[in-house]
Amino acid sequence: MADVEIRMGKEEYKSTLSRKITFLLICLGVLIVTTLISCSVGTGYEFTKTAQVIWDHLTGVTYPIRSPDWWADYYIFNNVMPGVIMALIAGAGLALAGTVMQSMMENPLADAYTTGISSGACLGAVVAIIMGFSYSTVISGAGIVINAFIGSMIPAIIVILMVRYVGNSPSTIILIGTALTFFFNSMVTLVMITASAESLQDAYIWQVGSVTNASWSDMPLMLVMTLASAVLVQLSAAKLNIMSLGEKSAKSLGLDVVQFRMLCIILTSVLIASIISFTGIIGFIGLVAPHMTRYLVGGDNKFVIPGSIIMGSTVLVVADLISRSLMSFGNIPLGVVMSFIGAPVFLYLIVRRKSQKDVF
Amino acid sequence: MAGKEDYYRAVRKKWLFVLLCAVMIAVALILALSIGMYEIGFADCYRILIEHITGNITDPYADDIVINTRLPIALFAIIVGAVLALGGAVMQTMLRNPLADPYTMGVSSGALLGASIAIVLSSTLPLFNEQWVRIVMAFGFSLIPAMVILLFSFKRRVTSTKIILIGIAMMYIFSAIVQLIMITASEETLAEIYSWRVGTLALTTWETIPIPLAISIVCGAVLMFHYRRINVMMAGTKSAHSMGVDPERTILVEITIVSLMTAAVVCFTGTIGFVGLVGPHIARLFVGSDTKHLLPAAAVFGGLFLLLANCLARVSGEYGLPVGVISAIIGCPLFIFILIRMRRKSAWR
Repeated sequence: MADVEIRMGKEEYKSTLSRKITFLLICLGVLIVTTLISCSVGTGYEFTKTAQVIWDHLTGVTYPIRSPDWWADYYIFNNVMPGVIMALIAGAGLALAGTVMQSMMENPLADAYTTGISSGACLGAVVAIIMGFSYSTVISGAGIVINAFIGSMIPAIIVILMVRYVGNSPSTIILIGTALTFFFNSMVTLVMITASAESLQDAYIWQVGSVTNASWSDMPLMLVMTLASAVLVQLSAAKLNIMSLGEKSAKSLGLDVVQFRMLCIILTSVLIASIISFTGIIGFIGLVAPHMTRYLVGGDNKFVIPGSIIMGSTVLVVADLISRSLMSFGNIPLGVVMSFIGAPVFLYLIVRRKSQKDVF
Repeated sequence: MAGKEDYYRAVRKKWLFVLLCAVMIAVALILALSIGMYEIGFADCYRILIEHITGNITDPYADDIVINTRLPIALFAIIVGAVLALGGAVMQTMLRNPLADPYTMGVSSGALLGASIAIVLSSTLPLFNEQWVRIVMAFGFSLIPAMVILLFSFKRRVTSTKIILIGIAMMYIFSAIVQLIMITASEETLAEIYSWRVGTLALTTWETIPIPLAISIVCGAVLMFHYRRINVMMAGTKSAHSMGVDPERTILVEITIVSLMTAAVVCFTGTIGFVGLVGPHIARLFVGSDTKHLLPAAAVFGGLFLLLANCLARVSGEYGLPVGVISAIIGCPLFIFILIRMRRKSAWR
């Protein structure tokens, strides 16, 4: 009798497991289709034609130079795809970082930017755009990226150093992150207020986050970082599961909480910095994607991690698609679309939150 | 007997802090009057003030500058600082959250949305009075979040956590709309919205003062009058119940008052941060958490803080900076200091 029951339990587990895996595969399929659709919208080519061109390009088929197919290939690959692929990678990376942060901080309202990274990046970029000051010798383009990257490392390093002195609990990290965000934002304001109207607009557009100026050469760093972090985080999914039980339980289960948390903060900081220094600060994706995934596949990080990577990419690709479809009404960057998607989802999350935990 | 003596001494010390702040405001006020492009000495300001009051003006030019340009700004700085710090003290005590400030319900983001709509409208439509349209729009929109919380309270029970969360959510929704407006706006409109957002007192004239002054005096008096209820709220909803206070109603009433008061000043100045967050904490370091002393102490300290910040703002930069920037730059390190202190020894509570 008992034997049967156990087997039943096992089978049940296996069936939910296969259901979750199927679900992830479906999501992956949706992501691929959405990406293809996004690549074909606004190009004037049909969906099948776009898929054909991309497939041919990937399999190494070449067309005679300056034939219509060659132009299609050239246009799609150099003008459309960089933006779409950047949205895809950025979505994946930010959602991954958000998942790690939420599990690590034991706080459902944590997101990728909780430690103040975004405001540091913002200061770096704004200083480059408005004052023309850069850590590198290049001012525009690469200079902004390098500045943003270094800027985003500053709050991360301060958090890591301060945690030694004021305690290592999640709430302390969140508080320090909040304070640093305030501080860097006020510095940004100070720089922005002295700016001329044109450079103010440039700086503001950078802050909102967009992928319109993406090019293939921007991709390698963020791709490598995202892939590497995804692998590392996936390997430590079990540890993250333990972390989200709370610090005491994690300790009693034999996890070095302090060390693991530091590793997570360092990893996510570098990951986020490598993304937002190219795209600007895209909000909400790191908050919303993990929640959507948890809602669909449950709380086990083994599935939440790949799930939110896929979900994050899908959402950001869709947001990019929307932002490009709205091009005729004016230039509305990805970041604005994302705020409009994210804010209501956030409201929904709050309304259906069952537990009455304090936010801070 | 000795215990009583000690208590009275402690209370006297607290009132002394309030008095000290008030005296310092009086000194700082004269300092604020003497700062500016046209140089007027510290002592001269006294003379000009007295001459203006007694009616025999010897230097009409200096009199005009001091009375009509600098005095309203300085007075308004005191009012705004007092209102924000008082509001912050009430919010922090009532929501039992040291990170709460008068903008927690989303007053600032509402005001920003209203103001940016008005700014965009005024660049396309001819409005009869841009300044006042902007103020009215900012005031109206800044009360929306409070109304949402009130409406929500008819359906479900409100708790402090829910209020904070609703405030954050409203803030996100409003700022999404503001983002859209700012992105699609022209360069000059963007610059104008941005400078409104930072918060400045430089536009203050005598016409600005009466309405916010009246509203803030009434609201402030009501809040001080309610200090017992607010005190009880700090013990938690259950304890409040058992002490005969309806926590839900108290929260709603006080929040509405704070929103109204904050909205009344914010719609004139834009969002000046940190006074409402840091001011009450510093006052708390001196007078403790009993709102009987905390509310007046926070108000006078807030007034002093913003008045001094405005003095700094006027001398820094080529033509002076908005006071919002200065209060953020002073406020941030203070905030971090308070955080660290809070960890070490719980100043909160």
